Amino acid sequence: MNTPSKWVIKTIDPMSNSNQSKLKDDCANKHDCLEMLQLILDGEATLEQKANFKLHIDDCLPCFQHYHFDQAIKELLKLKCTSQAPSDLVESIKSKLRINPIS
Amino acid sequence: MEEEVIKHNYSEKEKTSIFNNEFMPHINSMYNFGYRLTLNSDDSKDLVQDTYLKAYRFIDSFQQGTNAKAWLFRILKNSFINDYRKKTKEPSKVDYQEVESYYNSEDVDRHITPDLRVEALKDMIGDEISNALNSLDVDFRTVIILCDLEGFKYDEMAKILDIPIGTVRSRLHRARNLLKEKLSEYAKQMGYKND
Repeated sequence: MNTPSKWVIKTIDPMSNSNQSKLKDDCANKHDCLEMLQLILDGEATLEQKANFKLHIDDCLPCFQHYHFDQAIKELLKLKCTSQAPSDLVESIKSKLRINPIS
Repeated sequence: MEEEVIKHNYSEKEKTSIFNNEFMPHINSMYNFGYRLTLNSDDSKDLVQDTYLKAYRFIDSFQQGTNAKAWLFRILKNSFINDYRKKTKEPSKVDYQEVESYYNSEDVDRHITPDLRVEALKDMIGDEISNALNSLDVDFRTVIILCDLEGFKYDEMAKILDIPIGTVRSRLHRARNLLKEKLSEYAKQMGYKND
């Protein structure tokens, strides 16, 4: 799984007392943030966008949670929804084309 | 694709080399894509085999060393739409106008299950996520496969699917919301409460 390489999310617990006071419970810009979140998770955001988003989730609880949740889904999809081709498929294709396997 | 197709005149030896070294390494991804589209192992095998035979037949249109995976995925996607879907007479169920207007509305994210938590996801060790993915309409399923399972970039997805990048983004967004709704249902069945 690719995590944004230029910055690392602080492993703070958003529910702990020490941080809760600093975190906002509501995001004034939720729609735009969710769009940005998608760009970041998909590796399509610029370095500047990543940096700004990191600053934002440092004190925005819903966006912090969304980020980790969406990242978890992405990882789970990759883990649970991929599969191997049946072994006879490769042979079947090559026999139809009569080309030799890698020597 | 819109780009001008340059015809190469590969020798038999070059063709075999391209096929073995650039096409065949993607067989697992191709099979999985076929399987997730058709939801049937035999149909997927047929679709993938058909795709590889086409790829070999049109190998002179492929520029050696470029993105073979995207090229193959595009052929498979087109075979699925033109051959498989027609054969099985499965109509496209998605009304894209509805999709785009939904996406552009301010309400889009309001009702999306904010209470489904990472902890519930962690307990989904069985087939829940796979079943949730398979339950989505095929066009929504496809963007999640391409992006989250295969790691294609938006511009590659746009070329594979013949849609603008903006549509890739909005379709992904909607697909993920639908997936979360489905996962939220499973979480409820597993005893997690949406508090």
